[in-house]
Amino acid sequence: MHTLSAFELNKKFLSGEVTAQAIAEHFLQRIKKYNDELGCFLAVFDNEVLQQAKALDEKKAKGEPLGKLAGVPIAIKDNIQFEGHKTTCGSKFLEDYVAPYTASCVSHLISEDALIMGKTNLDEFAMGSSSEHSAYFPVKNPWDLKRAPGGSSGGSAAAVAARLVPIALGSDTGGSIRQPASFTGTFGYKPTYGRVSRYGLVAFGSSFDVIGPFTNSAQDTSMVMEVLGRPCPHDGTSYQELPEPYLDHIDNSLQGKKIGVPWDFIESMEGESLQLFKQGLEVLKKLGCEIIDCKLPLLKHSIPVYYILSTAEASTNLARFDGIRYGTRSKEAQTLDEIYDLSKRDGFGAEVRQRIMLGTFVLSSEHQEVFYRKAQRVRTLIINEYKDAFKECDIIATPTAPNPAFELDSIKDPLKMYLQDLYTIGANLAGLPAISVPCGHFDGKLPCGIQFFGKQGDDAKILQFAHQFESEQTFEPSIPSRYA
Amino acid sequence: MNQYEAYELVIGLEVHVQLNTRTKLFSSAPNRFGDEPNMNIGIVDTGQPGALPVINKEAVNKAIMFGKAIDAEIPLYSRFDRKSYFYPDSPRNFQITQFDHPIVIGGKVVADVEGKSKTFQIHHAHLEDDAGMLKHFNSFAGIDYNRAGAPLIEIVSEPCMHSPKDASAYAMAVRAIMQYIGASECNMEEGQMRMDVNVSVRKKGETTFRPKAEIKNMNSFTFMEWAIEAEFVRQVQEYEKNPDKPFEEVIEQATLRFDIEKKKTVKMRSKEQAADYRYFPEPDIPPVVLTKEYIDEIGKNLPELPHERYSRYVEQLELGEYNASLLVNDKRLSDYFEEALKECDNGKAVCNWVTVEFVGRIKETGTHIADFGIPPQYIGELVTLIDKKTITGKIAKSVADDMVQHPNKSPSDIVKENPDYQPMSDTSAIEPLIDQVLSENPGSIEDYKNGKDKAYNYLVGQVMKLTRGKASPDVVKDLLSKKLG
Repeated sequence: MHTLSAFELNKKFLSGEVTAQAIAEHFLQRIKKYNDELGCFLAVFDNEVLQQAKALDEKKAKGEPLGKLAGVPIAIKDNIQFEGHKTTCGSKFLEDYVAPYTASCVSHLISEDALIMGKTNLDEFAMGSSSEHSAYFPVKNPWDLKRAPGGSSGGSAAAVAARLVPIALGSDTGGSIRQPASFTGTFGYKPTYGRVSRYGLVAFGSSFDVIGPFTNSAQDTSMVMEVLGRPCPHDGTSYQELPEPYLDHIDNSLQGKKIGVPWDFIESMEGESLQLFKQGLEVLKKLGCEIIDCKLPLLKHSIPVYYILSTAEASTNLARFDGIRYGTRSKEAQTLDEIYDLSKRDGFGAEVRQRIMLGTFVLSSEHQEVFYRKAQRVRTLIINEYKDAFKECDIIATPTAPNPAFELDSIKDPLKMYLQDLYTIGANLAGLPAISVPCGHFDGKLPCGIQFFGKQGDDAKILQFAHQFESEQTFEPSIPSRYA
Repeated sequence: MNQYEAYELVIGLEVHVQLNTRTKLFSSAPNRFGDEPNMNIGIVDTGQPGALPVINKEAVNKAIMFGKAIDAEIPLYSRFDRKSYFYPDSPRNFQITQFDHPIVIGGKVVADVEGKSKTFQIHHAHLEDDAGMLKHFNSFAGIDYNRAGAPLIEIVSEPCMHSPKDASAYAMAVRAIMQYIGASECNMEEGQMRMDVNVSVRKKGETTFRPKAEIKNMNSFTFMEWAIEAEFVRQVQEYEKNPDKPFEEVIEQATLRFDIEKKKTVKMRSKEQAADYRYFPEPDIPPVVLTKEYIDEIGKNLPELPHERYSRYVEQLELGEYNASLLVNDKRLSDYFEEALKECDNGKAVCNWVTVEFVGRIKETGTHIADFGIPPQYIGELVTLIDKKTITGKIAKSVADDMVQHPNKSPSDIVKENPDYQPMSDTSAIEPLIDQVLSENPGSIEDYKNGKDKAYNYLVGQVMKLTRGKASPDVVKDLLSKKLG
């Protein structure tokens, strides 16, 4: 059952071939069996899911209308609020924090009869590219348990890759959905900024953060995006227009479409990664696309720009974690200042503290002009550069990550870790929709993704490309053998 | 020359007004005062992770109304910024305010300062959210977040005021505008209006500014005047004591509070201790983008503004400037007066009866006339009774006394029910009384005939006394003159 796509599962449930109960039990069992070795889940809602499944079967028996995602098990990254359940963000600080409300995206899933299976592991507060920096335990890559699944949404990526769930939600601030998708051979979609409501997503970099799904097919991505991508009154930055229906578009041909490739930017890439990317381009050519060179000269500045702006926003977003209203309050603290200082010291990991300090520094009145403001101006220039580029092509293609999944604990220098986001950050700076689609395996083993991104609002087009690309693929296997 | 006379005050005000929107500035929690602690809060107001602020359109509209009322520029683009500081009453540890693109730019406020009309320039006004409130108990402190997220508009004046009276007149004018456009009741006891006062002094004739001190959180016009006066004295004394020091060393840029008991300003923190607020654009709220049509529409629908009402009172009703501003500065009083006017168009008399006679009579109860229970129409009716000579002014005062005792009774009914208030218009009843007075005062008749006006008035008074004020003085004078030939 776990080898089925969400789309197929839903069909089988609707046709009566399987019950929701059977689906729930099957996937709960798999989670139980594999979660210890993978570290995907921080919480699993066994009883609740079984009850929900039972209710769904009864609903079906009564002939009541069923939601678009009826019977589809979905996992939620643990930085997304689900009322009554803990939202730890992978941090000790929120060890005991129980969500007082439900994120809009989760409400949408529930209203369409999806089964919310549990909360997935992540780098603390979504800050990281390996999912090793969870305060609880690291996530392992199902393709090689000695390797990281990428991050920060590594728990969701690994869970979908190991078929513990067909769909999982992640969040993407600088590549946190796409890079782990590339590392785990899954489809990782970062929608247009604002396409999915951020209401209920614990903020990291508010002007970059997007919620998106991990799946095993572009069709599943399209199906779940039709539910996730609804306008939301609780998020002032939420897209108010509905996109064209995703599923209706994915079968359209790519004949004659133009793919821009920023060759200058990709040059530095190493052998096999480049080879796999070029293979991906060949697939696009077979689909009738024309590959053209596109110039994005400013993109090379995207990492510093991103780390200045995202940490600036993060430093204020995380200021609320002060131990006053909720979260861990240091027991040692005697004074108000000590509550602030010691609670943060005890509650936050090193990477989070470092980013808060960096963000505070770049915003300080003394340094704001040379760091924050300058970075904002470069961001605007990068946005314009993309706009110009999209005048010449339909989408832009790049590799998703510069390398295959690396070994756990192998990248110690944070700056090296930041380079993981080299190809993904641009889409966050400009708010563009982008997807990582599996495009082969390194040395026949570790998966590799190719990234497509489009103009703001072109979500349907990106999913069309992803689906067509997927349909033309021939490589094997798509499931790590241990979890097949 | 007195040392103080060589100096002049320079004052700029930051007036914080809480807007009376139905919900908070960025959340759907009720914007209401006086409930049990932490009743009017939601996930946004307590800074829960993942909660997002959504701008309240009503607050934006009220800010635009204020801007139009002071003839300011409403830019088509304004935006919000984060202002970082840590304090337990600040649920996100940053305030959402408008730093460099405020919703209102420039404008002017006209105020009557001791009978003189003055124009005060506004620098800008911006929207921001309020913090919660700390409550200190014996061994701990509690936080009430009911106020957290309440919409504030902060009106920042130019440093254009030069006396404590300027400052209070300006602040009162701002309050009146807010009340007239229905944006706030500006109830100071409920914290709906508070002022931060920037004070510096300089030698008369100087054109540059010397260092200023900021007196925080004034919530009374009188105390604000006292605080400015005290700060003026302090700063002048410092300069006089240290004639050779640079100004920056004499008056440190600092934040002060006013000690009401000692009538002195007290330092809260110096500039060195001031926080770095690290302002930057709020990424969760898209910029406020308006159209000219939208702004014009709001401008067109503004109600009558205080200065317009003031002009109407002075020019059409011919009220004195003092009375006009007395009324205009208290919108409820003025509205009450307006209602009374609907019954009687004798503005001057109605004004006198409302602001002097009735307000005077109920002063001790501590109740505002609008809350006292006497329908304003009754006061208009009373003035009409006088004007139609149905009753005399003297009887009217007794009727007013009765109206205070029985607020629901109309003056006509009071007059009807009390025989003592019936007018004595029948000359046959007055004539015998005149005869009586004349026979008792032959000396006065003599004096009158010798050309002494005083004697005449004395005789009129004696007759009026016998009628117990019920006769019209005009009628009495008429009859008396005839009798005296």
